[in-house]
Amino acid sequence: MITLFKKTMPGLALLGLVLGGCQPELDAPKADKGSADFSKYVSVGNSLTAGYSNGGVSNASQAQSYPAILAQQFKKVGGGEFVQPVFAAGQENGSGFLRFTGFNANGSPKLETVTDKTAYTGATLPSGQAQLAAYTGPQPNNLAVPGISVISSVSALTGGLAPYGVINPYFNRLLPAAEAPTKDYLTYIGQASPTFFTMWLGNNDVLTYATNGGVASASNPFSGLSDTTRFGIGYRALLATISKNGTVKGAVANIPGVSALPYFTTVRVNAINASIKANPNIPNASTASLFITTGKGEVRAALPTDLLVLTSSAVIGTPSTNPANPFPVGVGYTATQSNPLPSQYVLDADELSAITSRTAQLNSIIAKSARQYKQPVVDMNSFFSTIVNNGFAINAVNNTTAYISGNLFSLDGVHPTSRGYAVVANEFIRVINQTYGASVPMVNPNDYSGVTFP
Amino acid sequence: MNVKSLLLVGSALLAATAATAGGFQVSLAGIKNNGMGGVGAGLALDQASMFYNPGALAMVRERGVQMGANATFARQAFRAEFGGDERNLRNSVVNPFSLFAGFGPAEGKWKAGIAVYTPFGSNLRYADGWEGRFSLTDIDLKSVFVQPTVSFAVTDQLSVGLGVAVLAYGSVNLQRDIPVTNSQGQYGHVELDGQAEHKVGLNAGVFFKPSEKLSVGVSYRSKIDATVEGGDVTFSNLPASAKASFQGTEFGVTIPLPATTTIGIGVMPTEKLTVALDVNHVQWSKYRSLDFTFNGPVGGATSSTSKRFYQDALTLRLGGQYKLTDAFTVRAGGSYDMSPVKDGYVSPETPDADRIGVTAGASYKAGEHFSVDISTQFISLQKRTQTQQDLLNNKTTDRVAGTYKTQIVIPGIGLNYTF
Repeated sequence: MITLFKKTMPGLALLGLVLGGCQPELDAPKADKGSADFSKYVSVGNSLTAGYSNGGVSNASQAQSYPAILAQQFKKVGGGEFVQPVFAAGQENGSGFLRFTGFNANGSPKLETVTDKTAYTGATLPSGQAQLAAYTGPQPNNLAVPGISVISSVSALTGGLAPYGVINPYFNRLLPAAEAPTKDYLTYIGQASPTFFTMWLGNNDVLTYATNGGVASASNPFSGLSDTTRFGIGYRALLATISKNGTVKGAVANIPGVSALPYFTTVRVNAINASIKANPNIPNASTASLFITTGKGEVRAALPTDLLVLTSSAVIGTPSTNPANPFPVGVGYTATQSNPLPSQYVLDADELSAITSRTAQLNSIIAKSARQYKQPVVDMNSFFSTIVNNGFAINAVNNTTAYISGNLFSLDGVHPTSRGYAVVANEFIRVINQTYGASVPMVNPNDYSGVTFP
Repeated sequence: MNVKSLLLVGSALLAATAATAGGFQVSLAGIKNNGMGGVGAGLALDQASMFYNPGALAMVRERGVQMGANATFARQAFRAEFGGDERNLRNSVVNPFSLFAGFGPAEGKWKAGIAVYTPFGSNLRYADGWEGRFSLTDIDLKSVFVQPTVSFAVTDQLSVGLGVAVLAYGSVNLQRDIPVTNSQGQYGHVELDGQAEHKVGLNAGVFFKPSEKLSVGVSYRSKIDATVEGGDVTFSNLPASAKASFQGTEFGVTIPLPATTTIGIGVMPTEKLTVALDVNHVQWSKYRSLDFTFNGPVGGATSSTSKRFYQDALTLRLGGQYKLTDAFTVRAGGSYDMSPVKDGYVSPETPDADRIGVTAGASYKAGEHFSVDISTQFISLQKRTQTQQDLLNNKTTDRVAGTYKTQIVIPGIGLNYTF
């Protein structure tokens, strides 16, 4: 019996190992370029396309821009190299960016700006912005310029009076010094000869105005809401140029609504009012509430429909500079209406509705232009509204548009995190696959970092 | 080797199993039965009847002790819908075991016995960094039942039996990553580890053998809720600033181990040949959701719920044995096991699908008292895909979209001592 046991066991163990070795296999998903040719992919856009995140652009953030993610996936179906305008060694942190260092006692996040290894030259552009060191590498595939709008892309739309190459440090660094005062973005992208392109422009034609609380800056000629006539002329010119009059395949994305950005949804009127009423340092706190200045100059109690910008939290309640209303009656804390929150910190209901309707108008121009030049539209407007309502659950993680905890938007409250850009890249891929009969594989967004906690 | 040393061998084995029947049910109690596709309710083969049909125990001629041990080799391939590489399990071998001791008068109307077996369990260790890591990285469910059993022959043809199934040992260990990144770029991780409370259920059966050529049996094992209270919650790699949302230290959970009803038929056309058919019906529909409660916030909430909505499932089993010589018997069989998990509800802790099993086995009788059984089962889970859209439609986005394919090989050995 024992002999039999001894004889059988090794045999059984061997049998188990042999049979246990039959690892099942699943075929790799089909990867196919369809009717598209990704061998030279070029991306046109603004900060969203440049990989701007946490309030700046660095080599690390560029590496996880959505065009970089797209190019990485395109490589699986015959895509070529993708060059980005990186910063030189020792200047990897580029423009500098925000870092999350902890929470304040009141639960608000503490942020600090990374200032080492930046690429600033020390010179100041005529616009007053600090100059970034010139990019000297090979012609980039990622042509994005943070801050650029459709109107500022085409010099003719301003009669050549606002040369963008000497206004915007990101465009300035891409151009040879001699061309900076003369070459506009339209001409710049015309130098590229892509086999495939993406173009996501138009955001700053509403966003710059919105993030500034609906106040156009006197020093920035492109800080208002862009008018539809010039936007239409500019957008068609840009799309005609990059698509070579519709002969190059690509995809264009439209403008998401701005009101759902964490930049406008994190500081809420109701919460501020509650904290005012609970503040023992304010006389008659129980009857006090937040007062704002509207875009029309009216001073009134803030309504729940008014959106406060992210930066307002650092202003509300700060000691007043008005000698008639000294501390503790801080900014915004007054029922005497003499010290309201300035207009640039609040997007009041009228301003919001103007921005929303202009966004819809611009998106219909984008849709029409895309049809004219035979390009599919990646509908980022409805894609992001769906995420606002339902979150974006994938691979067991529910990402949302909430500030910091949502993991899709970075610390600046406007630009996505790497994970947010991965989600954007997947949505481009979905539309590209559908339009060109391609099977470009999507990425796992959770492989890309959200907000890093200290 | 005497009875005592057999028992010692048994206790040295780990009581763990990989999911080898629908859901996290395991049907590996008797090595003879394993070789025959898992049939047993309509047969009075040996002491393992205590598990398959306590009613048949009184019809088992011999008294004795038998021990069975299996080794499960589970291999899985997974491809996420969002992600690309094929993921394989980190290898793990687990050993479901069983022990049966039966006694009673040789010619009397009754028999009694005690059975130890592992009817439910699961052990899966997913690849490092796999796409479903925020749902599950590791699971280890164990259960050991001890079942004192009595069986009584009402007539020469009809016998009944009853066992008190005691959940003597149950444990739950679940681990997953938390989607919060610390400053080193690592994700947080949580481990839930706890032991189940002792619970009591029933295993009852009726066995009817109208002729030498035919036998039928019905058995019923009742549902037992495996309940863990005060299990340990352990976090690692969490960033300091997120700790306020992860204060829980203890958890509670209830996992239903569902009731099983089996009808079996045995046909003995000749003295040497036995053919049997079993149908199991498992009331998986009791498994509606997996709910955890915590004594402090875990991810900002003190409870979590995850939809299961399992449905009742049938397993069909067919098997036979042929006595080649007085000492040597061979067996073969097959099974078709319908998954209780609906489309869109497949979760990493039970990556289930309809299963096809092919089995073989043999027995060798060495002398008057000893015999050895060997068996091997090959179980193939059908390739199963669930898409992100399925998950969104069912609001089950707490799991991962992708395709699973699993194969399991389970060699087993049993030692019998009869007296």
